Amino acid sequence: MIQDVLTVARKEWLEIIDQLLRFKRGGWSILLVVLFLGVISPLQMGTTWLSSPLMFFYWPLLTSSMTSTLIADSIAGERERHTLETLLASRLPDAAIISGKILAAVLYGFTFAALNLAIGWTVVNVRHYAGELLWIPLPRVASLFALIVAGSFFIAGLGVFVSLRAATVRQAQQTFGVIILVLMMTPVLFVQLTSTDFQVRVLARVGTMGLEALSFRIAAAIGGIAVLLNLFAIQRFRRGRLSLD
Amino acid sequence: MTVPAIRVAGLVRDFPKVRALDRLTFDVPPGIVFGFLGPNGAGKTTVIRVLLGILEPTEGGAEVFGLDPRRHGSTVRARAGALLEHNGVYERLSAVQNLEFYARAWHMNAGDRNARIRDLLSQFGLWERRDEPVGDWSRGMKQKLAIARAVLHRPPLVFLDEPTAGLDPVASASLRDDLMRLAQQEGVTIFLTTHNLAEAERLCALVGVIRRGKLLDFGAPTALRSARGAPVVHIAGHGLDDALLADLAGITPVASLERDNSGVVVRIAPDGDVPAIVAWLVARGVGIEEVRRDHLSFEDVFLELVSSDGTPPGVRAHTPPAREGR
Repeated sequence: MIQDVLTVARKEWLEIIDQLLRFKRGGWSILLVVLFLGVISPLQMGTTWLSSPLMFFYWPLLTSSMTSTLIADSIAGERERHTLETLLASRLPDAAIISGKILAAVLYGFTFAALNLAIGWTVVNVRHYAGELLWIPLPRVASLFALIVAGSFFIAGLGVFVSLRAATVRQAQQTFGVIILVLMMTPVLFVQLTSTDFQVRVLARVGTMGLEALSFRIAAAIGGIAVLLNLFAIQRFRRGRLSLD
Repeated sequence: MTVPAIRVAGLVRDFPKVRALDRLTFDVPPGIVFGFLGPNGAGKTTVIRVLLGILEPTEGGAEVFGLDPRRHGSTVRARAGALLEHNGVYERLSAVQNLEFYARAWHMNAGDRNARIRDLLSQFGLWERRDEPVGDWSRGMKQKLAIARAVLHRPPLVFLDEPTAGLDPVASASLRDDLMRLAQQEGVTIFLTTHNLAEAERLCALVGVIRRGKLLDFGAPTALRSARGAPVVHIAGHGLDDALLADLAGITPVASLERDNSGVVVRIAPDGDVPAIVAWLVARGVGIEEVRRDHLSFEDVFLELVSSDGTPPGVRAHTPPAREGR
């Protein structure tokens, strides 16, 4: 089973790499993101880039966004490019196909985040080197990556459902975009509906807890939901029930 | 008793607005090329999907090597290779990467995998371009790659849905030879769908003809021809006017007739004979220039089976029967 999952994930990665290497067909866009997040942003923020609380917001968001583009393509893309039926005619188990696609998408987001963080860290150190290397505190890195991985798995689990039902990649991306927007807006709307007193109490609690601890707790909650979502996605993916056309 | 490679029993598959398969029943013995023929939308692809366990039947069932694809889909697919309606190649990947992905999926070990990929790509003339993204290839090349993929893991059963579509005549002939060799020498069962009826007649030991989900006929192509292929006669001459032909259509030896470019094509009734027809025409002043007796082609038999209006074969203006001995 693990061998089959890795086989599917490997194939997905080969396709991603090909797409990234095709510079004229959109491969350049990824370099633009790397340039902005890995170079320009650290240069602008300086050493605060290493400790800014904003990283708990935009890194998971960025990673989830990268994961979402790939996962939306996972089944809908195979269907649109007429490769799904042949894939289903192979001996690969249902669970291995969907797990391999989820794994590839999560790894894609994670690798992208890790790579950009590494580039950003290098840029900050090159620009502000004063005899010793500047580091992001380990608990912060750990909690950040916990949030990134949990967020990516959550998005991947959700995206599989969208991709399973969509006829085309465009349809999957549009539907998924709306769902992500709703998910992002829900906490904002929720906060607006609560009393000022409640908001003050929550902020005080967060203040005493620390960003890292809060991040771990959010990651655990999202991770829990992600596990359920992914298990449900794996259970739902049955070749006999799929629309092939 | 030999277990059939494929057994289909009372198979029904309904889609929301249409019954795609309507109580299909047939057996395919192992080690032969079986041709599954029918017009577009007849249900051929649906049968293949059910047999591969990627579509569930509504009623009835199917077995592949004695296994129910619903319950033993993984085992069935492990023993089958498939080129389906679309070639299913990954266009962003190279030929080697395409085959390697499926070889890994079939759990072929690295040594066997590499040797087999090299052999197949060389056999299909694709080795020189093995590292190019397949998206840049011609349709025929992609089709060859898809066929290589279908036989990659040496399965005992291969489903080929229109395998020669997009191939040039030389490649098609070569593929036909390969398919015959696979069936005759290696005992592989080949389930073939094709619109090329001459190809089906040449290759297939058995054929099934399907239309609107119903099996219309089943048997060896020669048996289908002899069962339905009543002789026809081409008569060329002068004086074959419309009024005369209308009278001719009514005489006992004639089952039906239609004009063709040079005269008339007459389908002989079961107890009819040609001299009586010729004598009838001569007696009415027709100057006979040529009388040629033919048998119906397999294509005519097929068209008769699937024609919805019941028009008998051999009398269509654009489908003249083939010469005897073809």
